[in-house]
Amino acid sequence: MGVMWMLMILIWRMLSKILRRYGRWALVMPVGGMGAALFGLNVWTAATVLLALLLGVLLALVLVRWRQAGRSGLLPVTMLGAGICGLWAAASMARSWTAGFAVFNAFAVRVGGAQVAVPKPPTGAGFQGAVSLRAASQAAAKLPRAIAAQGRFINFSFSGRPGNLVAGPFGGLIARRVARPQVVILGHSLWWGRLLILGSLLLLALGLWLSPRAVADLRALITRVAPRLERWRREGNWGILLVPVTSFGLTIFGVRPWTIAAIVAAIVISIRWPRLAADLVPLVLVVFAAYGFMLVSRWVPGPRVLATPQPTRFGAIPVDSSQTSLLAGVEASALLAFGAWLFPRTIGAHSRGKPTTGHEVELAGRVQRLTETRGHALDAAAAELRRIERDLHDGAQTRLVALGMNLRALERMLPASPEAARALATEAIETSARALSDLRLLVRGIYPPVLADRGLGHAVRALALDTALPVELDIDLPGRLTSPVESACYFAVAEVFANAVKHSAARRIHLLIEHADDLLRIEVSDDGVGGADPANGTGLSGVERRLGTFDGILAVSSPPGGPTMIAMEVPCRLLSPKISSCSGTG
Amino acid sequence: MQVVVAEDLFLLRDGLTRLLSAHGFQIAAAVDTAPGLLRALLEHRPDVAVVDVRMPPGFADDGLQAALEARRQMPGLPVLLLSQYVEELYAREMLADQMGGVGYLLKDRVFTDNQFVDAIRTVAGGGTVLDPEVVTKLVGRRSHDGPIARLSGREREVLELMAEGRSNTAIAQQLFVTEKAVSKHTTSIFTKLGLAASEDDNRRVLAVLAYLNS
Repeated sequence: MGVMWMLMILIWRMLSKILRRYGRWALVMPVGGMGAALFGLNVWTAATVLLALLLGVLLALVLVRWRQAGRSGLLPVTMLGAGICGLWAAASMARSWTAGFAVFNAFAVRVGGAQVAVPKPPTGAGFQGAVSLRAASQAAAKLPRAIAAQGRFINFSFSGRPGNLVAGPFGGLIARRVARPQVVILGHSLWWGRLLILGSLLLLALGLWLSPRAVADLRALITRVAPRLERWRREGNWGILLVPVTSFGLTIFGVRPWTIAAIVAAIVISIRWPRLAADLVPLVLVVFAAYGFMLVSRWVPGPRVLATPQPTRFGAIPVDSSQTSLLAGVEASALLAFGAWLFPRTIGAHSRGKPTTGHEVELAGRVQRLTETRGHALDAAAAELRRIERDLHDGAQTRLVALGMNLRALERMLPASPEAARALATEAIETSARALSDLRLLVRGIYPPVLADRGLGHAVRALALDTALPVELDIDLPGRLTSPVESACYFAVAEVFANAVKHSAARRIHLLIEHADDLLRIEVSDDGVGGADPANGTGLSGVERRLGTFDGILAVSSPPGGPTMIAMEVPCRLLSPKISSCSGTG
Repeated sequence: MQVVVAEDLFLLRDGLTRLLSAHGFQIAAAVDTAPGLLRALLEHRPDVAVVDVRMPPGFADDGLQAALEARRQMPGLPVLLLSQYVEELYAREMLADQMGGVGYLLKDRVFTDNQFVDAIRTVAGGGTVLDPEVVTKLVGRRSHDGPIARLSGREREVLELMAEGRSNTAIAQQLFVTEKAVSKHTTSIFTKLGLAASEDDNRRVLAVLAYLNS
């Protein structure tokens, strides 16, 4: 046990050294070595390792920007898979020792032309269990010498069918039936089994250790690639899928004259009649899925498959055992699901006259967005008018009524009691001052005077002066914008400033305004605690809606713990080039 | 004392000229556009100009721009700005040259004609008069800073009144204390803010405003 433990530590140290020195990609070598140990050093393991290396180099060369994701995305999956396979192999080794012995015992094993003497188990029915295990080991220990004497293969027969025994990687034997490439590992000693379990566990642990990083890398990759896929999906016409989907038929029916003809037809249709091609894609998918289900349902475990001269294939999977038939069923289900998902997007949409091509979808999306933003704009304007009406009604209007009453009373009192009249006059003056102050506040809320006088740059400067936090300004705005845009942007900045003061506990705010290529860009960042969310509360979502009226957008990056950065972009033209650029700290 | 009045609304212009005439000012010119104001200022070189911020032709801050331009050509020309609203930004621009002779008041203040007339005289004498609304903002913005936070409540009141451009006498009257007490407060304020004390009212106000403006 102590030796085992030391071995584990040694392996771990080596691995961490390799990791540190060459990065995670270097693990391909030990993983490949493990694969070779598990499955023997044959064409497949060599090809897999070579392919993995090649893939890694290609990814590193081509996707330099996504190097991290490219490197480690597949590796943990490979490791986990290899670990699971290893455990499975170790488990099946324990089974096949007995079963393998049965093979030895029951059928004549011949080396060259002569029979090899195989020791019989001590008891007649006892070739299953511990006794037969040991006996199998002993038999296996003797056999390699015979193999070495006679060459690599030992011919034998299995139920009257031809087969051969192959030398396993660790001196054991693999009984391989020629007709069905099922592998039975024979005669491995317990020591190798333990090592196999240990290695598999190590692989599993490494794979699990790497996978969070790989998931993070993959997520980064997906966030980069997703917009492109989304754009492709929006612009793409589903008809281009007809050719690959038809080519799938090759894997079922093989290369025949009519499958080739179908593919050629698919190419012609998808070029000449893209709409028809799009409609055909889900139909073809459903037909293939149905065929797959039929194959799977017809397959019954037992000698019938053995009698089948050639295994039936579906996709890349030969349907010849319960596992592969299950896989084929999964594959058919996936095809069916994809077809069903495509149905409303192609045939359904066409029959309802909905737009499907990229341009039509774009136009329809544009119309929908304009309808939405127009609704928001009308709602906002109506709400604004209601607020102004209420403010006027409760504020200035009420005060003017009071003023009128005071003056009327003053008129009555003047002859009788001049002293009381004077007091009333003072009150009237105060009332009028309050009415004016109310009106000033209201006007500021409707359209701030500096904004009207000088435009966005100066108005935002004045706003910065009014803000309780120091604001660094970086404004490059060589002219005026249309007043609706100026107003929307001003109130957007005001809202963001107010949020920063109220919620962020920031020490300072930085504001950037620039206009280039007919795009106004505003960035407000603070060094506060973050956690701003447009979905939470109405402030930022209101800003988003208001900017949406001008096709503007709002993006918020505010992780918990900060910092917060809010970017707004509004497409707009400058009205007049005018000196209105200012910067500084206010 | 020669005054140029610039106001585009006839009612207010008429009211202002009548009010000022009643208090013994001579109206050199009463104009209703910004270019007219600039011409009148250069032509009459009055003792003080009373100027509305928003005027034709732009109906933006044309009055302010004309006044700033006139002060560039005639440094220290006393100008009292009147407006329906007060903007700290505009006050800062007027104060930027540190020459004094600047006023910036809400139009509401015209109601209390004595204070208004006092303000015109202060500005004409090279003093500075700021509307309490602006001063509150200026002081409020700095209230988190160390020095201003260390001022006592009474000292802060005195500071605000000083920033509005009041003399020690006026401050004493307003706060119902003796002039001696006020000058004690001002000395304390100047020490706490680290400013050089000055006996001259105008220079003292400019120092306070420069501090608040920085």
